[in-house]
Amino acid sequence: MRILAKEDNGIVSVKVIISHPNESGSRKDESGNLVPAHFIKEGFVSLNGQPLLELQLGASVSKDPFLQFKFAGKKGDRLSLRFTDSMDNEFSAEAAVI
Amino acid sequence: MNRTALSGSAGVQMHVVTTILLNNMKRRAFIEKSLLSAALLFIRPAGLVAAWNGKSFQQVSIEQAFLNVLGTKTPEKTNRITLTAPAVASDSSAVPVEINTDIKADMLYLFVEKNLTPLVFSCSLHGGSIPWFALNIKMKESSLLYGVVREGGKYYAASVHVDVLAQAC
Repeated sequence: MRILAKEDNGIVSVKVIISHPNESGSRKDESGNLVPAHFIKEGFVSLNGQPLLELQLGASVSKDPFLQFKFAGKKGDRLSLRFTDSMDNEFSAEAAVI
Repeated sequence: MNRTALSGSAGVQMHVVTTILLNNMKRRAFIEKSLLSAALLFIRPAGLVAAWNGKSFQQVSIEQAFLNVLGTKTPEKTNRITLTAPAVASDSSAVPVEINTDIKADMLYLFVEKNLTPLVFSCSLHGGSIPWFALNIKMKESSLLYGVVREGGKYYAASVHVDVLAQAC
């Protein structure tokens, strides 16, 4: 997972990209077999230990989910992100606002 | 390996702990987690967090999806939500969408009218979150997109149409 969190004039803009196939379960591969569903379902973002965002996501999010959000904040603020997928894998990362 | 159905945030938390050693991502995260366990508990306070809501992500019509997710088939149309998406999607597997509003929303949603599962995502906003979100989505076919926000328990929506030239998944 890559995170970029930049503050400008009291507003922090965050970009997150998570490497993930995000398969809906409706797609067929070259042999014509259905590729099983495997997608990011939940995301939790906290700011300096406090809840900021709770996300529920489905299979309509593109492969390698690229998410952007904003909040009122300052340089040095600590972001903690945790995503879980439909196969119970977890993806966590932290970043400081620059 | 762990296929047990999850119910409730307590069940998910325990499941997280028990599966923590089972793959590389989790093994790396385990070290972070043992240091951040207090923060982790804070990230998921009971009552604040709902487990992934399967009913919201069912393959139903857009009207039924509104009903399942919002509790109403008719969120109020507003021009205070700006939904930005290309008029024609060059790649229907990755259509960039942005939702922005000056409504003091505590929830944001994006729906695609003709996707098998109309709800794309929902987001609960806390603290200093700003009701603005952008992401790339998949679209099955030319369709309306609905950006919906909740304020004071009431739902407001705006829509834009996106044309899709070739079908994605």
